[in-house]
Amino acid sequence: MADDMDQDDRAQGVDKRRKGRGHRDTTEWAERYGGARFKELDPNAKPGPTASVEGWVIFITNVNEEAQEEDIHEAFAEFGDVKNIYMNLDRQTGFVKGYALVEYKGHKEAQAAINEMNGKVLLEQTIQVDWAFRKPQRRR
Amino acid sequence: MADDFYLRYYVGHKGKFGHEFLEFEFNKDGRLRYANNSNYKNDEIITREVYVSQSVITELKRIVEDSEILREDDNNWPAPDRVGRQELEIVLGGQHISFTCTKLGSVLQVQNSKDPDGLRIFYYLVQNLKCFVFSLISAHFKIQPIQK
Repeated sequence: MADDMDQDDRAQGVDKRRKGRGHRDTTEWAERYGGARFKELDPNAKPGPTASVEGWVIFITNVNEEAQEEDIHEAFAEFGDVKNIYMNLDRQTGFVKGYALVEYKGHKEAQAAINEMNGKVLLEQTIQVDWAFRKPQRRR
Repeated sequence: MADDFYLRYYVGHKGKFGHEFLEFEFNKDGRLRYANNSNYKNDEIITREVYVSQSVITELKRIVEDSEILREDDNNWPAPDRVGRQELEIVLGGQHISFTCTKLGSVLQVQNSKDPDGLRIFYYLVQNLKCFVFSLISAHFKIQPIQK
């Protein structure tokens, strides 16, 4: 039965399987916000990474689940003064979830960290390093 | 359309201090919208918007996939009520889930439900998603979302 529905969906150009009570019980986004605008830091900027309130934030993934903040600090301190580290634990297992945010004051420091550390091995795992935030791309 | 992606989470209730809620939304272009509303002490809604990089979206997708929430269904989960309401809507891998649930106070409440295994997945995924979003919002805007 589910297969038949999928074929019909695909024929109509809709290829998603829907599950959940929320489909039948929708709430209006607009109702909650009464037209309130979502505040951005700099709505009129050119494409590329964007500065955060106090610095530049990079995003690291595939972090070893046993990593300590010290390990991150040690690996990233050579590019500049590390202003902040966010490394969350999985709320069920207690191990590191796998990502971390590192903040530098300057764009150059953050760029250097990305250039040098992306694809490097940290605690036996190859990490990816990129900017966390970017300017909006107005594609439409 | 198979690479379409969207994620939205809402938790809230209506009470003495108005409609208190937390909501965030990611779209596939990386636009993250965050809102936190309460009328406690006449507070007003806080809303923020920032574009995250594709790396962040990729990691978010991994967190969702690892949880296996897309295999679950909310049929046997406790429905939203006066205590509160949660909504989790995700479009990923050709699936579109839209789950609703009351507020969950503890692991015990999950254990005693009619679908403890499925509800547990939801319970922990929501916590992990909140941590993820709170860190992004804190890092970018230097505000501290209050975790209830």
